Amino acid sequence: MTKTKKKRECGSLGHYFILFILPALIIYLTFSILPFFFTFIYSFTDYSDIKIKDLDFVGIKNYLTVLKTPLMKIAIKNSLIYAVVLTGFQVILGLPLAVVLNKKLKTRNLLRAVYFFPAVFSSLIIGYLWNFILSSSDYGLINNLLHQLGVNTVNFFTADRALYSVIFTQIWQWTGWAMVIFLANLQGISPELYEAAAIDGADGRQQFFRITLPLMCPSVKIIVVTGLIGGMKAFDAIYSMTSGGPGNATETVMTVMMDKGISDGFYAVGSAFGVCFFIIVLLISGLTNKLMSKWSEAIG
Amino acid sequence: MRKRRIRQVSRKEQRKLWITEMIMVVLAVIWFIPVYYLIVTTLKSPQEATQSPLGLPKVWMFENYVQAWNKMEYPRALFNTVQITVLAVAIIVLITSLAGYAMARTRTKWGNRFFLLFLAGLMVPFQMNIVSLFKIVKTIGLMNTVWAVILVDVAINIPQGIFLFKEFIESSVPRELEEAAEIDGCSVIQKFFVIVLPLLKPVIATVVIIVTLNVWNEFMTPLLFIQSRENSVILQEVSRNIGQFSTDWTALFPMLMLGVAPLMLFYLFMQKYIIAGVAAGAVKG
Repeated sequence: MTKTKKKRECGSLGHYFILFILPALIIYLTFSILPFFFTFIYSFTDYSDIKIKDLDFVGIKNYLTVLKTPLMKIAIKNSLIYAVVLTGFQVILGLPLAVVLNKKLKTRNLLRAVYFFPAVFSSLIIGYLWNFILSSSDYGLINNLLHQLGVNTVNFFTADRALYSVIFTQIWQWTGWAMVIFLANLQGISPELYEAAAIDGADGRQQFFRITLPLMCPSVKIIVVTGLIGGMKAFDAIYSMTSGGPGNATETVMTVMMDKGISDGFYAVGSAFGVCFFIIVLLISGLTNKLMSKWSEAIG
Repeated sequence: MRKRRIRQVSRKEQRKLWITEMIMVVLAVIWFIPVYYLIVTTLKSPQEATQSPLGLPKVWMFENYVQAWNKMEYPRALFNTVQITVLAVAIIVLITSLAGYAMARTRTKWGNRFFLLFLAGLMVPFQMNIVSLFKIVKTIGLMNTVWAVILVDVAINIPQGIFLFKEFIESSVPRELEEAAEIDGCSVIQKFFVIVLPLLKPVIATVVIIVTLNVWNEFMTPLLFIQSRENSVILQEVSRNIGQFSTDWTALFPMLMLGVAPLMLFYLFMQKYIIAGVAAGAVKG
């Protein structure tokens, strides 16, 4: 019975199945899967801009180079800090923002639009804008205001601060994004739950921790996973604000990959670095999935 | 007596709500300062920008825009960006709706295997492959063409597109409708374009919005694949000119403004749909 049903369903598309997926498959194979395999292959060869033909197999030499190069270790560390801090603030600020903007405020649609606004634009341009706002020259908005108030000016781009200054601008840009996704989740929670809790005498705080937070698990998971992976890929804002400097203070995985892997022509090492990057991304998503399901078990 | 208490509570609630609203409005104003600063600075002279950075411009300097417009070769850059975005979005909608439909309506092992293959793309950041992508694009002769950017951007967005279309078709497109069309003698292709596609409007809107934002704001693929100035996009023009004229303060802000203006207009008119689209895309993706 089930067998005949299966056959009929398959027959309802028949060879059209292949025809329909073919265009997507060809582009996906050429520009996603093929490069993925080549990255692995190149990472075990001596491919570079001075040796583009007759590649030799060099074992794990490139991976050792990645592990031994201080610049690459700094880049991985910075990307991790960037990803964790940015994602943390997206959740810590975005969640309460969503809860408040889910209340019956008169201006809530306008407020949502304002908080989401920066997320529409390219991080590159947002980076340039904040570069001027935080600049130490006469023109920098914040230092200009500090100066007018008679307070000492601050250099936001010292080796210690630069990374966090960039992260700060990205929190400004992406909190509204998280808010929108939290809001979508909140709107799916039945109001009856809150009514029942109110009858049982639960106050606002109890309602938030006992009802809202546990039911927000799915959207928190989305923000944490996409935020961490997006943070690891950070490039545009760094490119426009610090270009990796001062020194190596704000180098991230992608700035190093562009410099070493493309501009300087260390293709094989760049590929090995790419594979390491992939493994880190896999570890992060595996780990967060595990932690998040533990969390939902603990409160559920 | 009881009624009065309820009214008191609700009045107290209302006051609380009003205070919350005031706080949120003040916060929103602070949140918006950088954007306001961007807009007013574009119209000021350098002296005025330093002396009163947050005041409204006394004399409106529209020449700033004329200069920026010319330096960026704006019409050409805008055309390239629009061309890349429109073509990428059109291709994505067409090919991922077809593929999503095929996989939603086929319950064979192969349907599922292909679906998993596409879905795996969500876990692989394309950035890890830039070295080999660079090589592939060069080998097939697409280097320094808009098509390199279009095709790679399409590939990046294929997994999410397929996922959204398949999900939507499985949950909201009734099979009975298609069966009826089949009895009436529709071919499979007719069935898809005449019956199914019009029903996909909500998910098409979601995909269009997400992919438009992704492609318009994508900086790394043009940076990698477009070297010549006549093919470059708005973001490249912004970064090139800001690098070159980093001392000419007032020339830079109009460039940033011209850089975000098209999306700003898009957001002003489509705000409700954009917010809904982003939420729908993320919650399901």
